[in-house]
Amino acid sequence: MRVEETVLPGVGHKFTVVTHSGDKVVVLVHQTGVREVYFYRDDEDDAVAELELSDEEARELGAILAGVLYRPEVSGDVRSRVKELTIEWIRVEPGHPCVNRPLADWLARVPGVHVLGILREDEALYPNPPPDLKVEVGDVLIAAGSRAAIDNLKRADCRG
Amino acid sequence: MELHPSVPAFAFAVAVLAAVAGVVQRFKFPALPLYLLAGLVVAPWLDPEVIEPLPTLGLLMLLFSVGLEFGPDRIDEISGRASRAGLVDLLALPVGVALGRTVGLDWTSAVLLGGVVYMSSSAVIAKLIIELRRAAAPESELVLGVLVFEDLAIALVLAFFGGHGGALGMLAGALLVLGYLALARWLAPALARLLEAASDEFVLLLGTAFTVGTAVLFNALGVSEGIGAFLSGVMAAGLGLRDRIEHLFAPVRDLAVALFFLAVGVSAVSVFDGLPLLAVGLVALALLVKLVIDYFAAAAGGLGVRRRVLTSLYMVPRGEFNLVLGALALAHGERLVAQVAVLLVLASVPLGAVLIRFGPDWTRRLGPRKRRAT
Repeated sequence: MRVEETVLPGVGHKFTVVTHSGDKVVVLVHQTGVREVYFYRDDEDDAVAELELSDEEARELGAILAGVLYRPEVSGDVRSRVKELTIEWIRVEPGHPCVNRPLADWLARVPGVHVLGILREDEALYPNPPPDLKVEVGDVLIAAGSRAAIDNLKRADCRG
Repeated sequence: MELHPSVPAFAFAVAVLAAVAGVVQRFKFPALPLYLLAGLVVAPWLDPEVIEPLPTLGLLMLLFSVGLEFGPDRIDEISGRASRAGLVDLLALPVGVALGRTVGLDWTSAVLLGGVVYMSSSAVIAKLIIELRRAAAPESELVLGVLVFEDLAIALVLAFFGGHGGALGMLAGALLVLGYLALARWLAPALARLLEAASDEFVLLLGTAFTVGTAVLFNALGVSEGIGAFLSGVMAAGLGLRDRIEHLFAPVRDLAVALFFLAVGVSAVSVFDGLPLLAVGLVALALLVKLVIDYFAAAAGGLGVRRRVLTSLYMVPRGEFNLVLGALALAHGERLVAQVAVLLVLASVPLGAVLIRFGPDWTRRLGPRKRRAT
């Protein structure tokens, strides 16, 4: 997949995505947060389908696409690799030194990791969790970053 | 107690704008051009002087946003293809100057006319592209890149020719503009960290004070206040405040800009008094020259035939800088250039809106041939 990013002054950013199968999708991220998505077929000059999303809708759709709500493989830690980056679902086990500490404390110790969401049993998903959210036993952190950084997150020690 | 006369006038103006916006929304057509035309209609009942300083602030804020979004720091971000197109597009400036000399203007007025012919409106075009959902198209990327070039070029032109103090004013103006550009480039990034912790309220008030203050300073030194507002926007972008200010200013700016366009429509009525045929001819020529040059600019930018035509159509709307140049020409004693500027804005904004709205449908035949599915 090829992704090209361009700046549109006064409008926002434009991402042109050409998939493996040759389909072209253009995603516009407006300064206002609105997203526009256009689908092009290779023999058409104009987009054949378009979609407008609010900031919130775009995040939710993005989470679905990233496999946050449902992932096809359920056993063990699933990694999806985008170049050198990896996304991993990490279950917080009892006795982890960072249990019940705000997310910010976790992240302060491991640079290079981005927590995309937190899954908590019987509760809705927390997409883009706020840094003051306390991480509890049984939570599943959806973390993105380099492999080394993700391993550091698993071993994070908040007592030091 | 009696209300200040500006309050009922303001209420009337905003009610007119609201009515226009409401009607236009039903037809999926942008409101900005209709504000201009509404100004023509309500001119007998609205004196823009009474609601000052709002229309003037509207122009300053418009130029500030143009500086913020289309400032020279964007040059690094736009593609090589847009840069090549921008250089071809620049040809419209000398052509416009030559046009001015041909009809017997002095050099300063001819340069101002050149600017009027050359400049397309970043603010109007960006707004039309967003509202008509054209931002994903390849020509939009090229057009927005070319507009960055135009705004930088006109800033330099105004630095030298925008002053009204003779040779000394010219020098002072040039030094001031180059000084601001240099500060925005090298000093502002160093100060950006200081503003990160500042509250939104502080940024809003400081930004307003800085912009209007700069405009006043420039005016006092004999340089166009419009260029001062533009450079304030460039400075704000250098300070890393682009997203924050966009977010903070947007509602206030949209109101002030709508009032400004209404006021332009109102004051345009007086331009029609004793309008020489020459002015009408120059407006038509200005539109034509730019259409042809931008077709070739798009070709230099590597677009196909249909996208070249669309690029020239998108570049039609004129706006903020043309009015600044017109006002300078009036101060210089050249009424003709001012008439051309106002008439050009009045004609090109609605025309451009129609062209951007329907252009893609009209030009479909020019697109690449469809391959038949077998």
